[in-house]
Amino acid sequence: MLPEWMKEVEIGPCQCCAVNVGKKKSFVEKSISGVLNFFQESLISEDFAKRDGLLQSLDPRVKLISAIVLVVAVSLTRDIRVLFVSYLLILLFAYLSKIEILFFIKRVWVFVPIFAGIIVLPILFNVFMAGDSLITVATLGSGAHLGPILLPSTIYITRQGTMFAITFILRVATCVSIAVLLFLTTQRDVLFKSLRSLHVPKVYVLTLDMCYRYIFLLMDTVRDFFTAKKSRTISSLSVRDEQRWVAGRVGYMLVKSLDMSNKVHDAMISRGFNGDVKLLHDYAVRKRDYAAIATMLMFSSVLALISQNIIRI
Amino acid sequence: METIFDLQDVSYTYLEKFEALNSVNLTMTAGEQISIMGANGSGKSTLLSILNALVYPTSGEFYAFGKPVTEEAFNSLEDNEFGRYFRKKVGIVFQNPDIQLFSSTVFDEIAFGPLQLGLPKDEVKKRTEEVISMMEISNLRDRAPHTLSGGEKKKVCIASILSINPDVLLLDEPTGGLDPRSQLWLIELLQDLAKAGKTIITATHDLDIVEQISTRAIVFGEDHTIKADSTCDMVMNNLELLTSTNLIHKHMHRHGKLMHEHLHSHDAENHHEH
Repeated sequence: MLPEWMKEVEIGPCQCCAVNVGKKKSFVEKSISGVLNFFQESLISEDFAKRDGLLQSLDPRVKLISAIVLVVAVSLTRDIRVLFVSYLLILLFAYLSKIEILFFIKRVWVFVPIFAGIIVLPILFNVFMAGDSLITVATLGSGAHLGPILLPSTIYITRQGTMFAITFILRVATCVSIAVLLFLTTQRDVLFKSLRSLHVPKVYVLTLDMCYRYIFLLMDTVRDFFTAKKSRTISSLSVRDEQRWVAGRVGYMLVKSLDMSNKVHDAMISRGFNGDVKLLHDYAVRKRDYAAIATMLMFSSVLALISQNIIRI
Repeated sequence: METIFDLQDVSYTYLEKFEALNSVNLTMTAGEQISIMGANGSGKSTLLSILNALVYPTSGEFYAFGKPVTEEAFNSLEDNEFGRYFRKKVGIVFQNPDIQLFSSTVFDEIAFGPLQLGLPKDEVKKRTEEVISMMEISNLRDRAPHTLSGGEKKKVCIASILSINPDVLLLDEPTGGLDPRSQLWLIELLQDLAKAGKTIITATHDLDIVEQISTRAIVFGEDHTIKADSTCDMVMNNLELLTSTNLIHKHMHRHGKLMHEHLHSHDAENHHEH
């Protein structure tokens, strides 16, 4: 029954001359570790949300509304000192919510330089914003130009540009910190349901909740793809073949997601779902919640008044 | 006994090309425990989907609780009294738990059915807590589905159906992927539900559980027709039927209650009479 070639067995020590060929990870390895990191991060987040800290003890709606109001107030703020105080306050809240400060700072600052930093980078130079010289970058002489754009004779980083960039980055970092803190201290399902307090339609809340749940399932499938590929990869493929393989898997995932969405819909129908979403949430607003939202509204108002120069500091 | 399901010459074809059921005539009465047996692809799951009004016969007629089940009747469940009655009466446990577990926590999952059926919120909470306690899954209450093991997922799936308290329970390959202890737990649960008067219809090709969870067996052939509809004892002792429907193999089969297996070889020394 077995073809002849399948009957050949080679047993013996491996004749390979090299075992280690370098530390660089292949894209398969990177993808697997990326998926595993995603799972690990979500577990860490869930762990934070269950801790017995200050923000975890508050009503999720209070946290959500406070966070939105605070983000708006911080976005209006121009004074670097006020922004710095606000950022320190967020760090204090993180500490009181039993979140490791270093982890929290790292989580925020990994993304801020990438997004805000790139946006604000040009503003540092006198090419885009005139100002007093802080560091000279290049002396081009008069008449220098870049295509049709006439450049100044000396390109330097300006003091005003630097202040603007620092203020901008600090503002973004404070806003991102508020959002991250909200996510870390609130269980995902509770957070999504609390969106109802902002009159977000129930169907969006349900869809968001289900999306979050199925991301894990699809990530699991992706991990299985890559693990299966790793187990059967004998020699590395060309970049083109790898790309073709990834494209194939992306297509397969699309088909699988569509198929699954139909089946999930059937499962919902079979349990009485008729398009009218009903959600179960049970919130009890306590004195501390009223105190928290009052404090946060007051603080946000002060920030807004400072930003409009109504209160001078 | 009251007839709950009546299928008259029902056929079903996927994409107008792939036949799944062929001229099926069946009646099922309240309180029965039925196993639907058949090899992979014989149409068991499609039959369950029809019985749960998730798909509709391509030809033939299906009546549930004396009323015709048609796509038109179920297209919009809103203000549809029969649809609501049907969903309350019939629950299905899917083969793949990940399809059924779409909520973000176990508690929400179990509460979903009663909520959709319009029970008051206090009643929903009380019922959910009672089902969690009955199923001994209090430790999973606030867990997300992706953190559960296969056995735990299956338990939550069953709990999410039991919270609706359906009179008719449809189960698609319920023991698939379960370890022996979980299988035993499931069998005992189904036996308890049967004693309580529930109708239990199970699609399976796991012959070990058939006699323990059902009294009637319906066997589907690979041509998608019903090959036998009789008592479990009669079906399970009909080796010719089980072999022809690919439920046992002549080299891997049962002698009475004993599983018998020998190497797949065509040598004369391995031949024996049954």
